[in-house]
Amino acid sequence: MLRFDRRLLWNLGLLLLSSLAAADIEVETPRLRLLPGDLPAAGYFSLSNTGDESAALVGADSATFGRVRMHQSIQENGVASMEPVPRLELAPGETVEFAPGGYHLMLMERGQPLALGDEVTVTLEFEDGRRTPVVFRAVSPASL
Amino acid sequence: MCKKLLLLLGVMLLVGCSEPSWQTKDISGLMPPLEFELTNENGRTVSAEDYRGQVTLLFFGFTHCPDICPTTLSHLATISDELGEEARGNLQVLFVSVDPARDDPETLSEYTDAFGAEFIGLTGDKAALEALTRRYRVTYGYGEKDEAGNYDVSHSSAVFAFDRDGEVQLLIRESDPREAVVGDLRQLLASS
Repeated sequence: MLRFDRRLLWNLGLLLLSSLAAADIEVETPRLRLLPGDLPAAGYFSLSNTGDESAALVGADSATFGRVRMHQSIQENGVASMEPVPRLELAPGETVEFAPGGYHLMLMERGQPLALGDEVTVTLEFEDGRRTPVVFRAVSPASL
Repeated sequence: MCKKLLLLLGVMLLVGCSEPSWQTKDISGLMPPLEFELTNENGRTVSAEDYRGQVTLLFFGFTHCPDICPTTLSHLATISDELGEEARGNLQVLFVSVDPARDDPETLSEYTDAFGAEFIGLTGDKAALEALTRRYRVTYGYGEKDEAGNYDVSHSSAVFAFDRDGEVQLLIRESDPREAVVGDLRQLLASS
């Protein structure tokens, strides 16, 4: 009985260690704001680093789009513009929102027509070489 | 106790005096009435007179704008929905593209339709756009082209509100809470 408990504890410990070892990434509420025709779409999501090592997002790509870029909107003195984001580092436990008016993915050159409700896979690329595929759902631009 | 009552009385007096009470920025009298000559979604030349009679919101942007422009327009669509019957047929949103090289009438038409019937796309040549942007003291500019020929366009993020006669009334900024904008537009729709 005692031996069994010890083994159970040991296994639990191993499990805990393995889950802490890597920089784990969680993506929530991925959505793609679709504009008509071939106008660039925006990708929004919530990105969390649930691991114990920092992680850096360095890009994204998708078979559905010719080009995907990481951007940040900026507003200065009432003037809006955007700038490229080559690298975004997340400390352990940190969450970054890709949301309207801030960080977003700009998805250009649609390879096929898309409709509201369609699902599109976008792969997030991290500095350590890890690639995380995420399924985005196309939503109307009139809904935030 | 007595002091508190006096203070309360003072506040009530102050509130009573500030009329009409706008929650967004009141710019009436600070800028000229709406005036322009632009091209509409059918490729026809139109002027500000063609849009008199309704409360008008004016926003500068471009359709290849993935984030800010759709965010502002969807924000306005939500507000228009919230205004409901009041807004229907009495409120119009003029989306003026400062990127005529890419925004032809067809693109503008498809784009504004995605937000609602009250959204109207307009654009013009350099002279027409400069006359209008200078009139409302806003700027725009083009970023460098990337390897595929795409470029960013910087533009004003504010929304100008005009009454039915085309007189400028409010400057609505991105930081204004939705309830404030709804309240002010309700007031603007009710007046005149």
